[in-house]
Amino acid sequence: MPAVTRTELVALIVAATDDVLDTIGDEARAPLDETTRLFGEGGVLDSMGLVTLVIDVEQRLNSRYALTLRLADERAMSRRSSPFRRIDTLADYILTLISEHHG
Amino acid sequence: MSLGWLNERLAGYRDAPAVIWQGRACSYAQLATQTSDWAPILAKRGVAAGTVTALVGHYSPGSISLLLALLEARAIVVPLSMDALPHREEFFEIAGVEHEFTVTADDRWSHTLCTGPRRDDAPLFQQLRAAGHPGLILFSSGTTGRSKAAVHDATRLLEKFQVPRHRFCVLTFLLFDHIGGLNTLFYCLANGGTVVSAPDRSPDAVCALIERHHVDLLPVSPTFLNLFLMSDAWRRHDLSSLKRITYGTEVMPPSTLQKLKDAFPGVTLQQTYGLSETGILQTKSRDDGSVWMRVGGQGYETKVVDGVLWIRSAAAMLGYLNAPSPFDQDGWMNTQDAVEVDGEYLHILGRRSDLINVGGQKVYPAEVESVLLQIPNVRDAAVYREPNAIMGQIVAARINLNNPEDEDAFRKRARRFCREHLAPYKIPARIELTRADQYTVRFKKTRGPSAPDHQEKGLEP
Repeated sequence: MPAVTRTELVALIVAATDDVLDTIGDEARAPLDETTRLFGEGGVLDSMGLVTLVIDVEQRLNSRYALTLRLADERAMSRRSSPFRRIDTLADYILTLISEHHG
Repeated sequence: MSLGWLNERLAGYRDAPAVIWQGRACSYAQLATQTSDWAPILAKRGVAAGTVTALVGHYSPGSISLLLALLEARAIVVPLSMDALPHREEFFEIAGVEHEFTVTADDRWSHTLCTGPRRDDAPLFQQLRAAGHPGLILFSSGTTGRSKAAVHDATRLLEKFQVPRHRFCVLTFLLFDHIGGLNTLFYCLANGGTVVSAPDRSPDAVCALIERHHVDLLPVSPTFLNLFLMSDAWRRHDLSSLKRITYGTEVMPPSTLQKLKDAFPGVTLQQTYGLSETGILQTKSRDDGSVWMRVGGQGYETKVVDGVLWIRSAAAMLGYLNAPSPFDQDGWMNTQDAVEVDGEYLHILGRRSDLINVGGQKVYPAEVESVLLQIPNVRDAAVYREPNAIMGQIVAARINLNNPEDEDAFRKRARRFCREHLAPYKIPARIELTRADQYTVRFKKTRGPSAPDHQEKGLEP
């Protein structure tokens, strides 16, 4: 069983995305939820923002849940449907990785 | 003998203090006596011209006089500081050391005949022996990890000190086996100055020595200066004797330089530049708060090719004992240091091997570190590259804080700060906190993803 629920994951990604957007100075934005588009068409992040978010999420997963995951690798990049499109697709991708590595 | 001028010069300074070691002064006359006393000892033990001899020591009268006596005997000297002892076996094997002298902190000495393989066939040794010149071997860390042995003709390396210059009372901070440390030592002695040895190189100990012995020249590294300013030790001591602070061995963060300028108005701040391979070049900073400098001076030529500094000098080493010659056919050496050029001034950006390529855009760690060091509560920062599937490489930073802080909150605060001062691709995508010190025993920054083991990692300036 994964040590973290999907709801917790979505909350973690939302908080991390909020922090990244805050540092970019994007204050006047709509509240984030699991349907928020992260990267690509209509996404809130540019490529540096995405890189930063991915590392930030990895670090939070490690400090909160003692999970060591590599989210951005060849496999993630080569997926037909990018896991970085939306907050929910990223959460689902993380759940997949957790069940493979720790399940 | 080829270094006769040096001995004559030293003899002329007579009763002036040459070395202050553990609070006691040793005059030039005493140093000369000690140097002559070594001659029969060396002869009896079989150390002659061309003998490869290691000298493990400090800046004590015993060590310095032995170094002078070995040069006088035209030996090939391998100086080693106590801090380099973990590398002793490796260095001895590379150099084929035949004799080892160890001079302890209380100036007692011991001699060992080494039984390892000799390097009599090494062409550079044959060259020195044929010329009848003393040699010096200095080790620098190669990018591949194995140390490279730079073989110098000591006559050529020390020739530039024949030109009389300022007399300073100098604190020897850089170590005994470091080109910068030896440069300071010979500069000081050749001009009748006083060498104040600093066995303890903590900011408090350094400040106490400056105050007690009225030190006017302080040659250190930027990493040390950052700790020094952070420690506040400089506020608790009378450092009014200081006339000049020189900094080298690594890139100076402009933020640290500015703090130094504010803390020591009226003190000349001067960048130094050199490599184990080339010796130390004369430099002149554009002004006290500037990281721009003129490099060169008597006997040194410089040029910039594709943003990289090249040097040519008769005082440069003869070559490596254990690596191909780095000189091109015209005698130029690629320093691997990337520079910006503004007229006759240079700004050292960093080692080319430290360059970070973020999706095609280039960043040198020093620029990012300089910004990170300005964030409140940051004590130290080391920036390095990390492979990344999205951008190729990213900027990563490890930070030491003064007081503990929530890591997520710190990251957010740090990125906000960086955003005001750096282009987005230069802002560290990974920011980690660490409690381990991120510098070597030589007060030189260690950069990398894993916690530094606090071992000696870099020997070159």
